Amino acid sequence: MAVKLDIFRFDEATDTIPHRQIVEVDVPDKTTVLDALEAAKAEIDGSISFRRSCRSAICGSCSMNINGVTGLACKTNCSDVVKADGTIAVDPMPNFQPMKDLVVHMDPFWDKYSRLKPYLQPADKDSDHATERRVSPEDMQKLVDVANCIMCATCYALCPVISVDPAFAGPAAIAYAYRFIEDVRDGKRDQRIAQISEDYLWLCAHCYACSYCPKHVDPNDRIIDVKRAAVRDKVMMDERGPRHALTVSKTIKQTGMLAETEVVLGTVGRFNIVAQLKALPLGLRMVSRGKLTPFEMAAGGTAPLLGLPSIKPIPKVNEVTAIFDALEVPTI
Amino acid sequence: MSATILPEERALDSHRMSHSRESKRYGFFPGCVAKESCKELFNSTMLLADKLGIELIELTAASCCGASVVNDVNRDVARVLNARTYAQAEALGLDDVITICSTCTGHMRAANKELLESEERMDQANAILGKFGAKYKGSVMVRHLLWLLIDDIGLDNLRKMVVRPLNGLKVAPFYGCHIIRPEKVNGWESARNPHSLEDVIDALGGEPVEYAGKTRCCGFHVQLEKEDIAANMVGQNMRMAKDNGAEAVITPCPLCHLALDGYQKDAAARWGRTDLPTFHLPQLVAFALGVEPEKLGLNKHLIDPRTIMVERELIS
Repeated sequence: MAVKLDIFRFDEATDTIPHRQIVEVDVPDKTTVLDALEAAKAEIDGSISFRRSCRSAICGSCSMNINGVTGLACKTNCSDVVKADGTIAVDPMPNFQPMKDLVVHMDPFWDKYSRLKPYLQPADKDSDHATERRVSPEDMQKLVDVANCIMCATCYALCPVISVDPAFAGPAAIAYAYRFIEDVRDGKRDQRIAQISEDYLWLCAHCYACSYCPKHVDPNDRIIDVKRAAVRDKVMMDERGPRHALTVSKTIKQTGMLAETEVVLGTVGRFNIVAQLKALPLGLRMVSRGKLTPFEMAAGGTAPLLGLPSIKPIPKVNEVTAIFDALEVPTI
Repeated sequence: MSATILPEERALDSHRMSHSRESKRYGFFPGCVAKESCKELFNSTMLLADKLGIELIELTAASCCGASVVNDVNRDVARVLNARTYAQAEALGLDDVITICSTCTGHMRAANKELLESEERMDQANAILGKFGAKYKGSVMVRHLLWLLIDDIGLDNLRKMVVRPLNGLKVAPFYGCHIIRPEKVNGWESARNPHSLEDVIDALGGEPVEYAGKTRCCGFHVQLEKEDIAANMVGQNMRMAKDNGAEAVITPCPLCHLALDGYQKDAAARWGRTDLPTFHLPQLVAFALGVEPEKLGLNKHLIDPRTIMVERELIS
């Protein structure tokens, strides 16, 4: 098949703005985008730059945007993505600074990963141990999926939080934190949970963009696992993230519903005047439009102080409370 | 077991007495936001159901789906809460449960999938439900109203029912994450290239606007942790929509509605003014199908959609 590669070209050493180059290559029907790029580089223009090594979705080098979709070029077939006019647009991963063509500066990704101290730190490191550290199959099973991570940074490139707030640790780093937090041989569990909490664990937007992980690590689920570990171990419980989750939990247990105004006030802090003033304009706009009644807004702040539900409980709410009690669900 | 008689039980009893089964009947799970800060969504949905000739029977004793947040404190509670809701729907003979929120859709479907795929989890849920005499047998299916419109009503029928075509109003679809992702939970359409909203916009006589932000995140779930992130996500996405010609946005998710409607003003400093009004899906469909605009709660939006509707001569 004939493929028109529409390639992002840029060299940070010489260019101020990128340009595009259209390269036509003739490739067999079941060719990957990476092979098409290799053909373009070998046959037409040797200066086209991209990272690659294994060509079989193990090394994690060749993630890029393919017709606007981030993924591994070696795992994407041309025939699956080619547009009707024969074009395949290739661009560097978003959320990274381009270096040359499809090659990006990976430093922020590796920095966040290094901060985790991504190696085993056993508690008995310095003592003599005559035997190997054994792990039961059940304990190891928890780590198998996340151990498949190949650090390709596809999830980091897809993360909408990173795109507006680069301080966020990002999906891969949190998933890798989980890999050590849940490793029974590791002795730094507490420090690791504290570290990842400080690296803005709770800024995940629950968007599941990282569920497109090419290795099915599902960082989205591992992020939730780490949050649960933080709640269980009561790490940084005064931060908004844990307060949010625990207040939601409390209002559902008490009323069956997520009581909006109580959750807002409970999360920013009922006595945090600065944060409340910041949230006030939006709250007032909502009241002025009749989205919320002044009563609803006031009840969210005052009812919890009196130990009362801030909204009308659903019928048979005692059943909901029974579920929370049976599962010993934490609340604020 | 509680002796409370719920409105839906009474309604179904009177149906049985009158033997009237003309309109198709669904269990209806409105979700918390449609009962609290987006009541206009609830009202528009009920008015739309009348126009479509279907009956949405609200599950009034159903709890919150877990809102993607309770998972952060306990791995089982959302699943068991939803099992309780499914048991209620089953007991009423309403196995087809309809939602009007992307987050409800995703999390209720995820819970159902977990229950149906694991006997152990189903037993765990039923052991707790048994304490108050309930049991989930596993027959419930959760679908969004958007899917009902396409699967049960059909786009051709919908097109025929339109009495107030949208005159080519340029509408940007905004899906909301949880109605499409993760794909293994939803899977009703392609998560990377969905087109159900575009199809509905087209059927109503509007012009769908293509833009990269349509499947991206609105930031709602992080707004309380860091408001700037949510505002910037809104700004980023609405900028793309506006630059591609959008005059309004439509969303199947009230959480997206709250973020998009609420934060465009705050995002303007960085992303420029966009001021795109954000319709709830049922509002715009109900309008095109002839529901009086005054009944749709359009005045409740922070960015008033009536301005563009007057400009495009949809309302006077």
